[in-house]
Amino acid sequence: MKRHWFVVAAFLAGSCVSAPRVIEISKKGEGKISINLSGYRTGNDAASKTFISVLKADLNRSGYFTVSSAGAQMNVAGSCTAGSQMKADVQVYQAATRQRKLGKTYQAPANSARGLAHKVADEIVFAVIGKKGMASGKIAMVGTRTGRKELYICDMDGKNMRQVTKDNSIVVGPRWTPDGKNLTYTSYKRGYPNVFMTGRGKPLSSHGGLNASGAISPNGKSMAVILSKDGNPELYIKSLRTGRLTRLTKSQRYNEADPCWSPDGNHIVFVSDSSGRPQIYIISKNGGKANRVSSSGTESVAPDWGKNGLITYSSRVGGKYKVMIVNPVSRTARQLESDWADYEDPCWAPDGRHIVCSRTANYQSSIYLLDTLKDSPVTLISGSGDWYSPACSP
Amino acid sequence: MNKMVLKALIFTIIAGSFALVGGCKSKNANSADLYGSDNLYGDPLMGDMPLNDTMGLPTDGDRSMFPAVFFAYDSSQVNPEEAGKCEDVASYLKKNGSGGVIVEGHGDERGSREYNLALGERRALAIRDYLISLGVNPAVIQTKSLGEELPENMGHDETAWRMNRRGVFAIY
Repeated sequence: MKRHWFVVAAFLAGSCVSAPRVIEISKKGEGKISINLSGYRTGNDAASKTFISVLKADLNRSGYFTVSSAGAQMNVAGSCTAGSQMKADVQVYQAATRQRKLGKTYQAPANSARGLAHKVADEIVFAVIGKKGMASGKIAMVGTRTGRKELYICDMDGKNMRQVTKDNSIVVGPRWTPDGKNLTYTSYKRGYPNVFMTGRGKPLSSHGGLNASGAISPNGKSMAVILSKDGNPELYIKSLRTGRLTRLTKSQRYNEADPCWSPDGNHIVFVSDSSGRPQIYIISKNGGKANRVSSSGTESVAPDWGKNGLITYSSRVGGKYKVMIVNPVSRTARQLESDWADYEDPCWAPDGRHIVCSRTANYQSSIYLLDTLKDSPVTLISGSGDWYSPACSP
Repeated sequence: MNKMVLKALIFTIIAGSFALVGGCKSKNANSADLYGSDNLYGDPLMGDMPLNDTMGLPTDGDRSMFPAVFFAYDSSQVNPEEAGKCEDVASYLKKNGSGGVIVEGHGDERGSREYNLALGERRALAIRDYLISLGVNPAVIQTKSLGEELPENMGHDETAWRMNRRGVFAIY
């Protein structure tokens, strides 16, 4: 009997208390920790020089550290050697107590000095701050530099740019698969808008009409997707194993667009214009009534639900697109301060603190890094055509 | 949701669509608050008509035969002054037994790209539904939304935006 009750209680807890866990970001933020790398020994070779300069830049960009050359709170000791393999021995000490925060050796292929530096930067952030860093993440986006719209990926610092697709067509809206290994995107390479995944020739969705915004669920088993095969753009979930489709919205007169899963995979945030203008709604993966979460702006679009529990989206306020952050449980929202340009398509960086978005000024789009605490925006990619629709790896 | 409820809902939607075509005012009793049936009037949509699989169908056609249909900002309603263009296409398609049309839906650059994909599709679907109401066989009308991806006018003002909010007929 007791056990039965436990099962029922567990079921209720799982089904009713569906509100995702939310980690609040403190607005004021603590002061930065000064960190000194001048005692770190590197060779004079190009790879070692790249390693140390990328590591310093990553630590500065992390938002938690200021790299300084004297009187720092943290000292980094050790050495980096390049050869057939790169090897970085890294020790981090708290200056005041001489307490060792990190002591590890990292290895990477000779041509991976940047990747090694990103890895070490994240390890230092975690060892000292106790939080996940973002330096090892990747950004996927659409670029127009070939004259066509293709997918590209680069590191979180905007470097190491690689072209992913050669569809010679139009690609829209890349999203990472939950394992961070592939991207789903909409492409017209077969003539009609179909949903594709990198490394897979066959489309994931190719019904009549619109197939767009394919977003793989956190458990990798299904895909949220916008289809118009039944006569109107609606939100569906497709089982990736059986191909079975479940239609979540039935809004004959309205548009649904741009789905993104909650971190626990129980909900989907999406755009609907059922109020007359596009706004942000949340619906259970089992369907039912959708609840509106955006309240400000004449329109709100492009939601991204971070692992920190918060949803960021773009809202038109005073004629300009601004980046918003809303807590879906408390519904408290705030706007990130920005200049006169349009800030669109925000997505959470892997650290849950920064947001990557596109910034459009004078009809040119570039990729920006915004800090939700206090650091100034950073340009990550600009020039050689437009860059937009960024998506950060998990 | 179980199948019975689903069937009831589908029936209600179909009944609602017929009521609309009949021109009398009805309130869709089963629809959720979010998806109320307001704002239906003046909308030429006859109701949702499923689309064929595009596998094996032409992906392109001749865009020079008929002029584009223009839309108001954030609207997928075929305006009365644009309806004549659809009627010309409908007469052509009914006369020409073989072939068909890809209706391409476009939007202006404002709004997110993915929302504009959905909006472009609704514009194409509105034209498709109007062609069907004029007696065109649904099987020969495909839709293709291009969202804001292929503007006709590269400008960034209302003149350009008006030209870009369009439905294009690609005849095959």
